[in-house]
Amino acid sequence: MSAPATRFDALSEWSDRHFKWLLVAPAVLLILALSVYPLLFSVWVLFVNYDFTVPGHGFVGLRNFTRVLADPVARWSLWVTILLSTINVTIEFLLGLALALAMVKSFRGRGLIMSLLIIPLFISPVIVGQAWALLLQRPFGPTNYVLSQILGFEVTIGWLTQAPWNFIALVLADVWQWTPFMFVILLAGLTAIPPNLYEAAELDGVDGWRAFWWITLPQLGPMIMLAITFRILDAVRLFDTIFVMTGGGPGTNTYSSSFYLYTLGFTQFHLSEATAGAWMFLVITAILITFLVRRLLKAEPT
Amino acid sequence: MSLITRANIARTLLLGFFLLFTFVPLYWMFITSIKPSDDYLAVPPVWFPAEPTMLHYTAALFAYRGLDGLINSVIISAAATLLSTVLGTLMAYSLARFNTGGQHLSFWVLSQRFLPPIAIVLPIFLIYRAVGLHDTHFGLIIAYTVFTLPVTVWMMFAYFRQMPKSLEEAALVDGCTRWQSLWRVAIPLAMPGIVAAAVFAFIACWTEFFFALILTSQTAFTLPTVFRAFLGFQGAQYGEASALAMVSLVPSIILGILVQRHLVRGLTLGAVRG
Repeated sequence: MSAPATRFDALSEWSDRHFKWLLVAPAVLLILALSVYPLLFSVWVLFVNYDFTVPGHGFVGLRNFTRVLADPVARWSLWVTILLSTINVTIEFLLGLALALAMVKSFRGRGLIMSLLIIPLFISPVIVGQAWALLLQRPFGPTNYVLSQILGFEVTIGWLTQAPWNFIALVLADVWQWTPFMFVILLAGLTAIPPNLYEAAELDGVDGWRAFWWITLPQLGPMIMLAITFRILDAVRLFDTIFVMTGGGPGTNTYSSSFYLYTLGFTQFHLSEATAGAWMFLVITAILITFLVRRLLKAEPT
Repeated sequence: MSLITRANIARTLLLGFFLLFTFVPLYWMFITSIKPSDDYLAVPPVWFPAEPTMLHYTAALFAYRGLDGLINSVIISAAATLLSTVLGTLMAYSLARFNTGGQHLSFWVLSQRFLPPIAIVLPIFLIYRAVGLHDTHFGLIIAYTVFTLPVTVWMMFAYFRQMPKSLEEAALVDGCTRWQSLWRVAIPLAMPGIVAAAVFAFIACWTEFFFALILTSQTAFTLPTVFRAFLGFQGAQYGEASALAMVSLVPSIILGILVQRHLVRGLTLGAVRG
């Protein structure tokens, strides 16, 4: 068996020696090829003309940046992104926390309700947008009819076409889809709080709201940070529901940053300007990530 | 006693309200998918059609190429899931057992998860057009593999870390090579985690819209992108849109509920065990 030191033996010995690097190599190479290389390539695109409406790739200096910076729609879309993600994440957090508190003790049917509550997480945001559009859209959707019946006068709100109702519609869809995200993480946090803390507090006469304020919230703190951080980083990408529900409209009223950059690149074909905008957005996101992740690591989740 | 009942009532009201909120849009979409077109604009709204129809389903699948989108979605999601699970599990094993590349490598992978998609997809689009990968199955498969890798790696990283390594070490002592101890011992032990990671990767690909919108057009388009046909003022294809939505959401909901035990780990990239 051992006599001829065959080439195969040498190979297998080599592969055993470099085992840990061989395991990471394919994944790392793929990420390099499809994430790092495109980003480096786009650095070149930033400073040239890359526009399907203008031929050639001549050097243009900082023109791509100055054009985006001068565009009032760019600023408006950033504002929309900040506004919508703040409102969405706040509502999702409060509702998710309330739901988690309601679900933390076991009761009959808890397992079933758990399965039902998480359903929105597994649906494409495009479909979520479609479902809410169907429900709200005038004149087909039943929302205005039901509101008219309840309020006693005729309601004719253009939920997808009139500000501020279009924003409320977008918030509804986002809250519908992502409240379960907060709920699931916060529930895991609540279940991990040792029950003897509450027992000890009860002996000292602390219960109800005070127990919530002095035990539950501090114990849940790191988990709250984690849930909010993860959610914010996804919330700022807002695109799909806008694409389906309002199409950015009326006009550019509901453009988010992602939606603005998409239209700049793929309906107006100013690809190098869109790339410049995307890089600015990337830098803003990176600052946000650094800030949030620092605080998260300080909070040290379990 | 009265406090307990009050808390119970509050809980029932909250859960009842939220379940209603969750199910009204789904119910209305389902009803719209089986409702004859004549009932669309009826006042008061038709809450349940007297004569349900399957017409919208056949129209959505055939006239609007929903079936092609469905087939593409199955192929692309399955292939990307397979690649992402295999590559991600191998990488996670190396990170968990040998601390390969230290913290830098693992955090570099994690950071990929939080890059804004628009910043990545614009240059990928330009590169794909130049090398002929635009609107191909292969192009979207490798894009989705990279897009799902961070979650797979981090889920499996957490899974391997909580798995005792004594069995793998015993295998090495018995004369196994590193590869054999991985293949024969670690992978079978980690199978429940691998399956859960694979399901989450599949759902992520199945529901993804933005990459597919930009990187495909007439050939490799996936199910979510078919909805473009129903937007704007191109007519009132409410039934077709709803039918297609039902076709798309049923499989992913079933898969999701099957792995709900692992949901917390999936959503937090392994940071929370749940």
